[in-house]
Amino acid sequence: MWFPDWLLRRPDAPPDRAAFVVGTRDGRPLVAAANAQAREAGVKAGMARRTAEALCPSGLSLGRDPAGETRRFELVLDVIEDLVPRVEVVEPGLAFVPIDGATRYFGGEKAVVDRVAGAVNRLEAGGRFGAAGGPFAAYWAARSADPMLIVEDDRAFLAELDISALAADELIATFRWLGVTTLGELAALPRGAVASRFGAPGLEAHRLASGEDRVVVPRRIPADLAAELIFEEPLLLLEQVGFAARRLAGLLIDQMDQHRVAPHRVEVEAEAAEGITQSRVWRSAEPLDDRALAERVWWQLRAWTETGGVPGGLARLKLSPADLSDEGYQPGLFEATTERIEADRALERTRTILGPDSVLVARPQGGRDPAERVQWTRWGEEFPEPTRSLGSPWPGKVPEPSPSLVPPHPQHLDVEWEAGIPTRVRLASRWEPVVAWAGPWRRLGRWWAEEGPSDFYQVVTSAGAMLCRVTDGRASVVGVYD
Amino acid sequence: MSGGMAAVVKMSDVPVPVATDLLASRPGRVIGLEGPAGSGLTRVGFSMLAGTPNPYRVVVVDVRGWLCPLAAWEVGIDPGRLAVVRCGDPARWPRAVAALLDGVKAIYAEVPRGIRDVVLRRLGAKARAREVTVILRPVEGRLPSGLAYLRVRADQVVWAGAGRGHGRLGCRTLVLELSGKGAAGRRMVVEVEDDGAHPVRVVSRLVASQTGRAAG
Repeated sequence: MWFPDWLLRRPDAPPDRAAFVVGTRDGRPLVAAANAQAREAGVKAGMARRTAEALCPSGLSLGRDPAGETRRFELVLDVIEDLVPRVEVVEPGLAFVPIDGATRYFGGEKAVVDRVAGAVNRLEAGGRFGAAGGPFAAYWAARSADPMLIVEDDRAFLAELDISALAADELIATFRWLGVTTLGELAALPRGAVASRFGAPGLEAHRLASGEDRVVVPRRIPADLAAELIFEEPLLLLEQVGFAARRLAGLLIDQMDQHRVAPHRVEVEAEAAEGITQSRVWRSAEPLDDRALAERVWWQLRAWTETGGVPGGLARLKLSPADLSDEGYQPGLFEATTERIEADRALERTRTILGPDSVLVARPQGGRDPAERVQWTRWGEEFPEPTRSLGSPWPGKVPEPSPSLVPPHPQHLDVEWEAGIPTRVRLASRWEPVVAWAGPWRRLGRWWAEEGPSDFYQVVTSAGAMLCRVTDGRASVVGVYD
Repeated sequence: MSGGMAAVVKMSDVPVPVATDLLASRPGRVIGLEGPAGSGLTRVGFSMLAGTPNPYRVVVVDVRGWLCPLAAWEVGIDPGRLAVVRCGDPARWPRAVAALLDGVKAIYAEVPRGIRDVVLRRLGAKARAREVTVILRPVEGRLPSGLAYLRVRADQVVWAGAGRGHGRLGCRTLVLELSGKGAAGRRMVVEVEDDGAHPVRVVSRLVASQTGRAAG
């Protein structure tokens, strides 16, 4: 359910004059919503405030009031919850209603949506309602609805949408440049190719375009990660409630920090001194961090308090996290998600400059020599199954420390031997005496692949140490201890 | 290896303020590592970045395709945080590093031949502005003066553990010459121990005479 102009449904918004609401994103004042008159003048959501004021000089610029917006939206949510429980709020004006159970009860999706729409319209007209298999498609169904749209096939519905439906500016620009203008065209591309070229953000975009919402990957986490505060003296003042919200959000973060998980949904549960318990679920596409969580809890508590939903004061407050997953990757809450995203973007740009094979990640695997013990893959791609088990003993393995430099191909090395003992090696144009040497570690070679035995030596000169391989009397450098 | 040092005296003899964590990296600081392959500086560089706070990715720019992540893992960089960018083309190297500076907070970059000083200075300025820890390791030659907050030159490496056909490489001791702001504006000689399994550590500090009177 989506109210396009919810932010403007406030007492101080003039009905007969252009007005727009300004919020902040990344510290920049941007237009969050505009009424019809302002839109006629060219004002759009996402536009810089200064631009909006230049386009519509007679328009009234209003600051955002999240607590007031939540308080008013709370009444709408109550109406929906009378019909369907467990409504999830994304932001004031936008909520998701899980209708699986209600569909069976009321006898079909249309019957549920009709009932919800009817009940909401009696309270607040102008809402739009969309029903689909996942939140992403449902959101776009609600945006496209007039006033109601039930999507039978998510993928087919999304295929018609413009690529800008993905909220990723850089990706969108690149897709357009490549001639991919709709979600259908994106979904038609091979997923592996998209993942290879665009990494994790591209993979996520492809999934959304294909009608697959975020995949929840179960993880071993404790059964109850909820955080709770019980107040012997019920909190009556808003400031006290705000402080409690921040404290509990911080507490939950500390708790989840130990398990390296981040929630996408949090249920806020408040118990009044008079025994009434209220709860509301907030959800977010990005994992909620401490600030975002505290903000949402505060909005919710303020809405309840100001509408008299907590009679006698707040006696208990509980936050229960859910949906602790993000496409298989779980950032710990101590991890700065913004930094991770920025780093991934930087790597993405670097890959654009250098080519798809230029950005690599590696993981350890079993093996005898250093080159074997690293499994490489392109950044953003899944690792293939390891070919060498890490847990196997690997007799003849060259011991640690490992060389810091391992040439992709063995480099020929001139060695002077005396009675099987290396005495001098040639480095560039000069001969260096061997100060010390260790080994050999013998590798028998794969006889079935016509690979002969090799001996590995650690050779130390005054210029440093290197790992050498001797095969059929020919020596080569396979690692430098730099 | 570079030539010998003159006028080396024990630190205790000279009252010079020395930072307790000489080889620790800091956001916005450019560190230059100068020395040939084998001098031990790659592991020193990895070790400096091992202390980068956990959320940040560590990116290694590999010019020759030789850098082995095993050494980075051994000093404590988590495999999940490490990415390797291979770029041997000096024409594209500055753009690639500039792109990394926009979002990555810890970079170890080999510098290929043929990169102009002015380009390196621009990248250094960008690293400082964006508070990125950058370790630059020229594949050949030296970095332009004034670029690095701390310049580390390898003077000597002594390995222990291997004998005449017995034992195995174990611990090494590096003698490094530090200069630049990070060395309190003096030319400083430190001894560093690296056991291969942990980040390197400074085991003793020796200080050469002041810049201008020291021979490096």
